[in-house]
Amino acid sequence: MDTLARVTDLSRRFGARRALCSLDLELRQGEVVGLLGPNGAGKTTCLRLLSGTLAPSGGRVEILDIDLARHPVAAKRHLGYLPERPPLYPELRVDEYLRHCARLHRVPRADVADEVDRAKQRCGLDAVGRTLIAKLSKGFRQRLGIAQAILHRPKLLILDEPTEGLDPVQIREVRGLIRDLSRDCGIILSSHILSEVQAVCDRVLVLHQGRMLRSDRFDALGPTALWRVRLLGGDDSGACSGVERLERLACVEAAVALGEDRFRVILTEGAESADLARQMLTAGLDLCELGPERPDLERVFFDLIGAGGTP
Amino acid sequence: MIGVIAGRELRSSLVSPVLWILLGGAQVVLAWIFLQVVDDFTGLGADERVASLTVELALNLFGFTAVILMLTVPLMAMRMLSGEFRDGSFELVAAAPVRIGELVAGKFLALTILMTPLCLLPVINIALLAGSAELDPGQIAAATLGLWLVGVMFCAVGLYASSLSAQTGASVIAAFSILLVLSVIGRVETLGAHDLSLFGWLSWNEHLFWFLLGAVRLSDLAYLLGFTGLFLALTHRRLANRVLQ
Repeated sequence: MDTLARVTDLSRRFGARRALCSLDLELRQGEVVGLLGPNGAGKTTCLRLLSGTLAPSGGRVEILDIDLARHPVAAKRHLGYLPERPPLYPELRVDEYLRHCARLHRVPRADVADEVDRAKQRCGLDAVGRTLIAKLSKGFRQRLGIAQAILHRPKLLILDEPTEGLDPVQIREVRGLIRDLSRDCGIILSSHILSEVQAVCDRVLVLHQGRMLRSDRFDALGPTALWRVRLLGGDDSGACSGVERLERLACVEAAVALGEDRFRVILTEGAESADLARQMLTAGLDLCELGPERPDLERVFFDLIGAGGTP
Repeated sequence: MIGVIAGRELRSSLVSPVLWILLGGAQVVLAWIFLQVVDDFTGLGADERVASLTVELALNLFGFTAVILMLTVPLMAMRMLSGEFRDGSFELVAAAPVRIGELVAGKFLALTILMTPLCLLPVINIALLAGSAELDPGQIAAATLGLWLVGVMFCAVGLYASSLSAQTGASVIAAFSILLVLSVIGRVETLGAHDLSLFGWLSWNEHLFWFLLGAVRLSDLAYLLGFTGLFLALTHRRLANRVLQ
């Protein structure tokens, strides 16, 4: 696979405050990387550095092997960027704005109309071409922001919280669009919504206080060992408590009662939820519910930032 | 690319009411001054007149238009950069493959085009006298050129002030302050230091005065174009440093 972006030892200071520290990253064609972190973790700073709208205090950004600091114009030709606030001109109509963006990104004059139509169609803006941007809803403004970023078919797409302000239907559409776009380019997006990153990204970078805590592919996160169990009839099955009966199972390392009929179960190494379900049924436990304690990413995220978890 | 940036600025300005209100307001004020000058001039006998009608019109009408430009150009310039910083739309140009020089040139070109109709208002008013009064077209042309060059310099100052802050009000006040200082600095001489002609040379109205009298001097051209270039270079520097902040 081709390397689209290579970030080496990237740092940024704002006065004495260190907003980003020694970030290394490589993005390949067809990959969607999610930057995940709480507010103030350095996600937007990182994306601004990658888009060339902010200069780094140290380190290097290369887009298709072009140094962004030395040759910004050449490197930016391959970039599409949606900032946190979509960069719109409310006094223009949607078509006028997109035509302007196309010319700004050096799309040949003869191709402008086709590219504008294509971007509008991909982002569901066909019906609002002649509408003033000032009159668009927040969701449409966000879509327009995405449309301006993909107009010139960039190789690298940088999206800062792309589903911010969208309703659930629009969020699903944008996720589909991101997956669709990733066939032609590499995408880096930021979000503080865990499920969002898990839904669309191949890889996640967890940022906290400007540092990269972990970079993992989702398939490398591994299955969780923590499961929630609910038993029918509660903890009143004779002399043995529910905890004891669960702990007798071969695949269970330990069990903790969370309520009358709810338990948290820690599986032994190598055991999976299917083993747990099978052994519970064999042991005559009336299994009512079985679910992971938390989604994998959520567990990793809270473990990394040290914020603790929900009970 | 300069044309693309200037075209967008022009389109945005033409659909907003600010430009039209400024043009309309300026025309009302200038029409009043024009009528007053003509009325005063025609009320005097031939032996009471100390200057020709052309000189009277040039000094009053063009002189006052320069003051109007000083007040209006910062208002037109504030949205060019300061307004974009505030609204976040500057990120679009900042992330696009555009050189800072092209950006500054595009914005400056648009601002100059928007300011030009204001500079032409005195000539349009004076054109009403064509055929009915004897006027010096050369002097009127020189006065129009001088006024336009002063307006161009104001555009450069306004653009620089606009690059200083994301607060549009602050950028307007900064532009007014710079232009006001460059306007009154010539009066330092009246405080006693008669030999310090540098202050007089730094004042834009001293240079405009010679254009209004019909004299196009190289030193005046050098001053106006030099200061225009200086403030455009400062704007370029400011935007180049913005990525470091």
